[in-house]
Amino acid sequence: MSRAEGSPTGAVPDLWAVLFAFLRLGCTSFGGGTAAWLHREFVLRRRWLDDRTFLAAFALNQTLPGSNGVKQAVLIGQHLRGTPGAAVALFGLLAGPFVIVLGVAALYAGLVQHKIVHDMLDGVAAAVIGLTFATGLRGAAHDTPGAVAWVVVAVTVLCIGVLDWPLIPVVLCLIPVSVALAWATRGRR
Amino acid sequence: MRGIGDSLIALAVVFVPLSLLSFGGGNAVIADIAQQAIAVHGWTSEREFADLFALSRAAPGPGSMLAALIGWKAAGIAGALVATLAFYLPSALLVLAAARLWGRWRGSSWHSAIERGIAPVAAGLFLASGLVVLRASPGGPAVWVAAIVTTAALLRWPGMHPVPPLLAGAALFAMAGAL
Repeated sequence: MSRAEGSPTGAVPDLWAVLFAFLRLGCTSFGGGTAAWLHREFVLRRRWLDDRTFLAAFALNQTLPGSNGVKQAVLIGQHLRGTPGAAVALFGLLAGPFVIVLGVAALYAGLVQHKIVHDMLDGVAAAVIGLTFATGLRGAAHDTPGAVAWVVVAVTVLCIGVLDWPLIPVVLCLIPVSVALAWATRGRR
Repeated sequence: MRGIGDSLIALAVVFVPLSLLSFGGGNAVIADIAQQAIAVHGWTSEREFADLFALSRAAPGPGSMLAALIGWKAAGIAGALVATLAFYLPSALLVLAAARLWGRWRGSSWHSAIERGIAPVAAGLFLASGLVVLRASPGGPAVWVAAIVTTAALLRWPGMHPVPPLLAGAALFAMAGAL
């Protein structure tokens, strides 16, 4: 199996391209929701990996501790260029925000006392929530056709997003069921 | 510089375990970071912590550059570096090890069935994460409306860059705040 598996274009970017892509994303992904920004950049725009690979990485990501965006970046880097790719992705994603946040803290410590800053942050956050929803819906529609898969999506949202049940037990119960359903219907795709 | 050395060790001792305990994402441990930074180690006052938290939210990149800011307050640039590495590296190594293990079985039919079965759960988790942030947002109904409008716009025009709705949303809230 070549590394290009899971890439719609079949192309594998070199390490520098991976570094610059993550550096750029780190500096421009405002408002949190880093995983949604990663999907937009690497699945939709650059087409370096497909929806299924992205979602499989996200599910693995969710069962382990740590910042979701950082873990997803490490997984994408690993998928593209192995361990060096993962290292470059981690560095690239964190370097820009690190410099920016310390620079802003040193220069404009009083910035956050203005109410308008908080209003703008709320606005940015709302737009990023929209990006997250659109990404989830597109991922569900694109890679999981069929009523059964939509039921799994809905049950997951209900348990985690509405009822606030603990994530890990829910995921550990749902994944075997969903995998069994995927296995049972594998001939029909 | 014994004082700085001690602070750096203390930062690592605080942030490494939090990195490995933050199930559900970096936001899960913000309360613990606050307790350690304010009450246990006195790196920041309560007011400073609130400001640093707001600042970390305004910065680009993954949510919790909060670790960098706390480290910076505690021990300057070296502190910022130590806190950032301590908070991100352990969980990154863990996920990397898991991915390498998983990749070994790539290509087998059950591997593909598992990935196909995981996809709807992952999509549901993605949607749920947006919903959880939305419910916790202090902005009220306006945030819900803005989030739903952005969702619809991005589904209708997938190629659209999210910055225009971002800025539109920001301007809207600034205006609403001024009224």
